[in-house]
Amino acid sequence: MRYSMLRRTTLREIKGSFGRFLAILSIIALGVGFFTGVRGTTPAMKHTVNNFLQEKQFFDYRLISTLGWEEANLEAFRSQPDVRAAEGSHTIDVLCVDDAEHEFTFKTHTILQNINLLELTEGRMPEASDECIIDAGMGLGLSIGDKIYISDQNEDDTKDSFLHDAYTIVGAAHSSYYLNFERGTTSLGNGSVSGYLYLPPDAYDLDYYSEIFVRFDQDDMIYSKAYKNAMDDRQTFWEELTQEQADARYDRIVREAEEELQDGRDELEEKRAEGLSELHDAIRELGDGKRELADAAKELADAEEQLNDAKRQLEDAAKELEDAAKELEDGQAQLDDGKKTLDDSKAQLDAAAQTLADSEAQLNAGQAQLDAARAEVDSQESLLLTQEQQLDAQEAELNDSLPYLEMLPPEQQEQIRGGLAAIAEGRAQIGAARAQIGSGRQELAAQQAVIDAGRAQLATGRAEYEQGLAAYNDGLRTYEDSVKQLADGKAKYEQGLLDYENVRQEYEDGLQKYEDGKQEYEDGVREYEDGWKEYLDGRAEFDEKIADAEADIAEAEQEIADIAHPDTFVLDRSTNIGYACFESDSEIVEQVARVFPLFFILVAALVCMTTMSRMVEEQRTQIGTLKALGYSEGRIMGKFAFYAGSAAVIGCVLGFSVGSVLFPSVIWMSYQLMYIPLKLVYVFDPLMAVLALAASLLCSIGTTWLSCRIELNTTAAGLMRPKAPKAGKRIFLEYLPFLWNRLKFLHKVSIRNIFRYKGRFFMMIVGIGGCTALLVTGFGLRDSVSDFAQVQYNEIVVADAQMSFKNGLGSKLPAKLEAQMEELTDEYLLLHQTTLDLVTKDKTKGMNLIVPFETADFSHYMHLHTMDGEPLTFPANNEAYISNSIHDRFNVQLGDTITLRNEEMQEVHVKVTGIFENHVYNYVLLTPETLRGQLGETPSLNGAYLNFAPDADSYQIQAALSRSDDVTNVTLFEELQTRMAKMMSSLDYIVLLVIACAAGLAFIVLYNLTNINITERIREIATIKVLGFFRSETEAYVLRENLVLTAFGILAGLGLGVLLHRFVISQIIVDLVSFKVQILPLSFVWSVLLTFGFNLLVNLVMGLKLDRINMAESLKSVD
Amino acid sequence: MSTFVEFQNVRKVYKTGELEIEALHDVSFEIGKGEFCVIVGASGAGKTTILNILGGMDTLTSGSAWLDGTEISSYNKKQLTAYRRYDVGFVFQFYNLVQNLTAKENVELAAQICRDPLDAETVLRQVGLGERMKNFPAQLSGGEQQRVAIARALAKNPKLLLCDEPTGALDYNTGKSVLALLQDTCRKKGMTVVVITHNSALAAMADRIITVKSGTIESMRLNDNIVDVADIEW
Repeated sequence: MRYSMLRRTTLREIKGSFGRFLAILSIIALGVGFFTGVRGTTPAMKHTVNNFLQEKQFFDYRLISTLGWEEANLEAFRSQPDVRAAEGSHTIDVLCVDDAEHEFTFKTHTILQNINLLELTEGRMPEASDECIIDAGMGLGLSIGDKIYISDQNEDDTKDSFLHDAYTIVGAAHSSYYLNFERGTTSLGNGSVSGYLYLPPDAYDLDYYSEIFVRFDQDDMIYSKAYKNAMDDRQTFWEELTQEQADARYDRIVREAEEELQDGRDELEEKRAEGLSELHDAIRELGDGKRELADAAKELADAEEQLNDAKRQLEDAAKELEDAAKELEDGQAQLDDGKKTLDDSKAQLDAAAQTLADSEAQLNAGQAQLDAARAEVDSQESLLLTQEQQLDAQEAELNDSLPYLEMLPPEQQEQIRGGLAAIAEGRAQIGAARAQIGSGRQELAAQQAVIDAGRAQLATGRAEYEQGLAAYNDGLRTYEDSVKQLADGKAKYEQGLLDYENVRQEYEDGLQKYEDGKQEYEDGVREYEDGWKEYLDGRAEFDEKIADAEADIAEAEQEIADIAHPDTFVLDRSTNIGYACFESDSEIVEQVARVFPLFFILVAALVCMTTMSRMVEEQRTQIGTLKALGYSEGRIMGKFAFYAGSAAVIGCVLGFSVGSVLFPSVIWMSYQLMYIPLKLVYVFDPLMAVLALAASLLCSIGTTWLSCRIELNTTAAGLMRPKAPKAGKRIFLEYLPFLWNRLKFLHKVSIRNIFRYKGRFFMMIVGIGGCTALLVTGFGLRDSVSDFAQVQYNEIVVADAQMSFKNGLGSKLPAKLEAQMEELTDEYLLLHQTTLDLVTKDKTKGMNLIVPFETADFSHYMHLHTMDGEPLTFPANNEAYISNSIHDRFNVQLGDTITLRNEEMQEVHVKVTGIFENHVYNYVLLTPETLRGQLGETPSLNGAYLNFAPDADSYQIQAALSRSDDVTNVTLFEELQTRMAKMMSSLDYIVLLVIACAAGLAFIVLYNLTNINITERIREIATIKVLGFFRSETEAYVLRENLVLTAFGILAGLGLGVLLHRFVISQIIVDLVSFKVQILPLSFVWSVLLTFGFNLLVNLVMGLKLDRINMAESLKSVD
Repeated sequence: MSTFVEFQNVRKVYKTGELEIEALHDVSFEIGKGEFCVIVGASGAGKTTILNILGGMDTLTSGSAWLDGTEISSYNKKQLTAYRRYDVGFVFQFYNLVQNLTAKENVELAAQICRDPLDAETVLRQVGLGERMKNFPAQLSGGEQQRVAIARALAKNPKLLLCDEPTGALDYNTGKSVLALLQDTCRKKGMTVVVITHNSALAAMADRIITVKSGTIESMRLNDNIVDVADIEW
């Protein structure tokens, strides 16, 4: 090998100055890595999505007709020459519930065979018509085997569209139709869609398709010019074709409808005739019935008459009987009286008989007594006679004795005197008794007269009694006769009574029969009346039905007349949210890619340049020697070119391979937040590889050439003479003595050194500045990203929670819920929230509409202010406030009139009178009057903003309110903030990447510069070491420059960082979120500290190197 | 004259990987205070190694080296630095001035780290550069630069002035004037000056002449016939 020695020296050179070699290598690697990585990310992402969409045969056209499509249309589309597939599909928004009563708003689609295919993540495809595939991307909390029920709250049309009431989930899938996690808008619920549901075609009970997807026979790269051109070429033709087909369907529908209508009319007439004849029959029947009833009534009247007669007779008989009974009773009474009289007479008679008997007995007794008394009187008389005899005898004796008397004793004289007195007395007494007996005899005679009178009386009494007795006996006989007579009368009465009862029974029977008859009659009447009523009802029904039918027919006629000529829409891929978003999102990286690599390549070129010129300078003598030895300039140049070039090539390969994998994968990772997970396809772009290689070779060899050029032109002798050291120079600062003189001596040295090499100064500023700028951008990114949620939910949306209500509340809260909300919340604001599409020239995008029922206190819930902090109130009617994101992304200016379109393609036109700061969602604020005025219906109440009392437990309130049947959900903004911040935290990967790159950049630049600085000043350093500078002093002497340069770089970098951050933020458009362009002070602090940190790290390494510098270097000659 | 510098059986071995090179062996000499000593020897004889050890820039392998009664060979790295800082002044063959410092600043660079420095301007005036203090090295001739270097060494007010081929990069006349300056300094300030040179002609002006050959002292003698610099020819 002719030049083997040269090569060997080059290899040795590399080995000997490996740090320098490594510096070139790494800066090239970093530059190339960044360049290819960032550049390659967008193509890689696009390819990834392209592969997926090609594999899944993403649609080219989505054809919509307001009349829907039929099979014939489909055939017509399919038969176009460049159509690969065309399939009809249904898209229906439907409310569903699961077994746990969770509510979902699904967009259901049809599983197609050839277009918009699904990527199953688990489970299998449906095999039966009641099976479905669920959205895999939305975290719905449903799993395979769960059932989803079509909610009763759906409109009938919707319910009728489905063959089944419930569908079983058999799999979960990502759909090419939904690349990101935006699910579009709906008029149901609160306007947000929970996810999609894919059903097999036979799960629908519809005879038309709501849309037709067309896939052309092409496999052009998505978003490519070729594709766009091809689609542009097709557009006019397809728009016409679509309209033509829709019109054909219209004609067919109208024709069929008219035929059907005619059938309907015929049927009506037929039915009318039928009905009328039926009614006639009925009325005839009713007439017969009426007549029959009249007869029956007459019969009944007769019967009643008879009965009345009978009744009257009976009453007479009863009366007679009653009289008879009375008579009998009277008779009896008389009899009883007679009997009593008789009995009395008998008693009197008996008493009289007794009295007679008594009187007789008395008389007899009196007689007897009288007799006795006579006897006694007789006896006494006899006795008296006796006694008188005795007295006579005695007197006689005594009278006998009397002549003698004076001869007798006194005593016997007394006794004869006494006895003659006692006889005189006895003779008196007998005389008295004789008087008495005479009076007695008189009395007795009187008494005898009385007795005799009594006896006479008795005899008359007896005669009277005998007479009475005879009368009594006569009466008794008469009475007995009467008794008998009465008994006869009674028997007769009894007989009469019996007869009466019989007759009465007969009467009762008759009456019963009459009543029965009457009942029957009344039933008949009722029946008749019912019949009549029935007839009337039937008649009314008939009239009504006929009227209805006529109305139906009229309506159908109107409907046919109303069938609008169909509007058609030929929607291309740009109307698919996922597809459109991905294009803009993937281009963010491309935007960012435009700035960063340039910067890195600039730094790389600078690093190469300084390194190589230093190297050439160092090798001056060697160059001269080689030249003197006769090597050609090219050869010598080749040595350096090889040195720099090999470093560049290795760095390029390294950077390319690492960068083009690392960057796309990290960035893709952060995109996974928004897009369905796809395995990233790394794209090897040969052009980029060549470009990267060219750039790195240009950087290395180009700069080498620039550095060598001058040296090589010098003669060998000139080269071998030591190059005059670069002269010291005063710097402008020295002309400011008041400053310069205050500086410490060593600081002056450093400052002079700093300005000694302009190139290095510039490189340092660019490198360190770049590092700081990257750090500021990186940290700022995080600030903007992590802070927007905080700003959004603490400064803009100041409400504590938002809730949404079930459909159909109208415009008032149910009383119960209202009471609950009054109790649980501090205040609340009822509102209507929905999503409308903002229609601009080239884009259509869903906007969140907030329509508060009360606008006065809106500031309690949302602080509206412009981007400059000017407070805003609330738009007037037919005006709108829009969030700044809408302003930024859709180029809507103050004073513009924007068009908002709902699902029914109705449009609202409002003038923008305010743009307010808002970071999450695209909000449009309107008054209810605006909506009412332009859409013709009062916006329904379906949501509310809530404010809680300061010390309230918001989670408890959330739970309490959620339990209400009328509430579909309650979202705490605090929770939303946390969730949002967490979601965005994955952007940390990118921040980390940026920080790593910044660190790499700072390290390489600082290391390289310091390295150059040290090697260049090695004698100087050795000298000051010999002079007795301590290690720290030596380090300070050399590295202070780094510190100062770093400070300069940082200053420049802070400014640059702010700009870069602003640029990057403006490019990063995460859907629904607009970041706040802000960098927190702490981020600046961190950026500065980190840059200084890198600096210190480099200084640490360099300190070691300084320490190793041999003082003997100072003794060497200048070479 | 008392012994100011003393080397006792100094041995120095350089190790380069497997290779051991004995640069010095059994080097013993002494220099009195205030002497003007010339160490002379051919290239590679070991005189620079002696200078390195004496100047505190290198350590020895065995033996001992003394300055003013202190054993410098026992110093650690930091003590050696302090030793260089306070006790030794260096004059290099290639002056080793800091290019972007003016003459005065170069002197100050050394002076400001010493305990008891001399005034930079005074020293510069003493070396005859009173008019050129504000010039950068590139604006000075070689002799002037070497004068600045000497001024820088003197400003430190060292105990010992070490000069490594001070005239090596200078033309004859300039070299002479620099040597005269050194001798003058030695005489007037009583500074101990050690000059290392391969030029044996210079030995004539020295108080003490040490000849080095093949890593050891060939001879050491006091000069009985000191010749003025102006009279030396080479």
